[in-house]
Amino acid sequence: MVDMRRSRDPRDVRVAELVIPISQHRGREPDVSVIVPVTERPEPLVELFLEYSAPLVAAGCAYEFLFVTEPRNRELVEPLRELTERGLPIRVFEVGHSVGESVLLKLGAARSRAEAVVILPAYRRIRATALTELLARIRAGADLVNCRRSPRSDSWLNRVQTRILHLVVGGLSGGRIRDVASGVRGVRRSVLAEIPLYGDFYRFLPVIAMREGYRVEEIDAPQHPRDAGTRVHWPGIYLRRLIDVFGLFFLARFTFKPLRFFGMIGGILSILGGGILAMLLLQRVGGASLADRPLLLLGVLIFTLGIQAVALGLIGEIIVHFNAASRSPYRVQLRAAEAETREDASRFVAMRESSFVAEQAEINHPERVIR
Amino acid sequence: MRGRILSAAQSLHAVHDRCEFPARKATNGVRIRGSQARNAAQRLLRIRAMSSAIRISVVVPLFNERENVPHLVRAVRAALGEAHDWELLLVDDGSTDGTREAAEAEERADERIRLVPLARNYGQTAAMQAGFDLSLGEVVVSMDGDLQNDPADIPALVARLDEGFDLVAGYRLRRQDRLLTRKLPSWAANRVIRMITGVAIRDNGCSLKAYRRELLERIHLYSDMHRFIPATAVAVAGARVAEMPVRHHARRFGDSKYGLSRIWKVASDLVTLKMLSSFRERPLAMFGIGASGASILALVFILLTAFGLGDGGTAASPAGFVFPSVALVLVSLAFYLLLLGLVGEVAISGRRGIGAYELPVVREVFPW
Repeated sequence: MVDMRRSRDPRDVRVAELVIPISQHRGREPDVSVIVPVTERPEPLVELFLEYSAPLVAAGCAYEFLFVTEPRNRELVEPLRELTERGLPIRVFEVGHSVGESVLLKLGAARSRAEAVVILPAYRRIRATALTELLARIRAGADLVNCRRSPRSDSWLNRVQTRILHLVVGGLSGGRIRDVASGVRGVRRSVLAEIPLYGDFYRFLPVIAMREGYRVEEIDAPQHPRDAGTRVHWPGIYLRRLIDVFGLFFLARFTFKPLRFFGMIGGILSILGGGILAMLLLQRVGGASLADRPLLLLGVLIFTLGIQAVALGLIGEIIVHFNAASRSPYRVQLRAAEAETREDASRFVAMRESSFVAEQAEINHPERVIR
Repeated sequence: MRGRILSAAQSLHAVHDRCEFPARKATNGVRIRGSQARNAAQRLLRIRAMSSAIRISVVVPLFNERENVPHLVRAVRAALGEAHDWELLLVDDGSTDGTREAAEAEERADERIRLVPLARNYGQTAAMQAGFDLSLGEVVVSMDGDLQNDPADIPALVARLDEGFDLVAGYRLRRQDRLLTRKLPSWAANRVIRMITGVAIRDNGCSLKAYRRELLERIHLYSDMHRFIPATAVAVAGARVAEMPVRHHARRFGDSKYGLSRIWKVASDLVTLKMLSSFRERPLAMFGIGASGASILALVFILLTAFGLGDGGTAASPAGFVFPSVALVLVSLAFYLLLLGLVGEVAISGRRGIGAYELPVVREVFPW
């Protein structure tokens, strides 16, 4: 126990407050697993833990925090060791090398024990009080709840950035997701295990879940003062986001029909190039010379680009065709009677599929699992 | 009986060779793999065996058809009788008008009726595939939920199927739709489809069709493929297809869900279908043909340059560079197409020729 009189660190007082309720939950499975992938822009994690666990304690939840991190953030997670030793339910995992946030998230999901999962970025974006409503919505039957930063306290420049991002994201989600960038989500673990999540698409988790047919909701949460400053990124970052959004748009619209996309581009280019060539041919028949016309080169080039685009689309169609058997184009909604069997099935899937990743990590680097 | 044992054996083959598809059925769409898939598939076989009483499954995708549901159910019941050898699957494709509740009420009233509620609106093709996946009968009949098809035609379709076909497609006699926006485009589309695919189906837009289970296990519908099921069935699964006239009624309730804005989609899908039917087993051949064409053209330009036929352009003058450059662009195109063909071969190499469901439907010509 912490000796509160002698401690000068105000943090200790708050830790003591948290330890007591947690001891009541000892031996009980957690109701909530909070996953924090520690990658970009990390803040001191002890403060983050203290702030976000407070509403869970107040609500009487048995919780666990899972910090999943990469080796370069070793110093950041080290202070958590002290809290763990005091008996707080904090588990820290570390992968062997930089793997990206999607994988960290999946690793966390594989190791979490509660069905209700909260995903937090490693920096404070919203006020912790919003977690209460987040969990209430999950309990009420939502599959995924996204937090929207509102009211926002950061600069207009950031808000404009958010707006621009959501021109496409809003369109793909029927206008129902208004802030994917907050990064704070509540989600059922069984749902998280079934959503195809890779690369940079973890950013668009709510949109992807919605397109997969899950019940996705959005709540308003006041923005955290720490998130308030103006942030302008390197141009490269904006380029990456642009590519992400384009990828998301393509996958949402054309996953099953690549030729509709490539064929559109290829068709337009071929017609353009073919038009130029036809015009030149007519002029040649009319007596004009052909070899001194650079336009011929342009026509052939454009036509070639068109053919290449169509050819890529055809390859895409072949791949889709041969994968159709293993990919269900729909999801059946569960009804009360079936929910139980399905729960078993998805628990199994979650266990099997993502624990594979976790096992791999542990097999490769057993010493790296800190706790 | 013999057919049942045969199809069970076939399913077992599939269990061992390729597990995904039956497993998907047994687990309600949850994707699982490996030995667990095997168990799930065997569970499916048990379910099938227990449900041997069901012979005909009627699959009806519904999207905002609340008023039509009770009429539809009544008509199907009238057509198929009071026996318990059929089932009706009402696939609710994310309706927002209370179709789901209406279907649920029917489900409670009659155990032969099942609701398949999809999680969101996925479109007619996915809805049909969902119904096919979860149906149990040896014979599956698909039809529209808007009562423009008449369930009274089902017994005749099934009887025709029993004459030795894998798919019987209905075509609408005296179609009750608007001429300009519905009948005319449909007529043109059917002509084009027949021309391109070589499968002579008079009416691809008619949803009233009967399928044999062995066929459905071999085709997987996605995107908007419901328009081309007969052509796909022939191209991919070697199906025997027959046609017969069916009745058609004017729409009584609700609105038509179709528009004229699908020409591009249909055109693109047709190209895909043509490509799949000719080259799905050999993408390298398809791209090889393209590469040959580009190479020949390149050669033409090279020869024109070599023999000084480039309209007076010489190697020294700027005009002398156009033809060689064109030849180079064409050579690069040929190279690109060849490489892409190799990518295609890689993409399908792990997929073809394995498992019973990969092979076309087959029947002994002289039963032993």
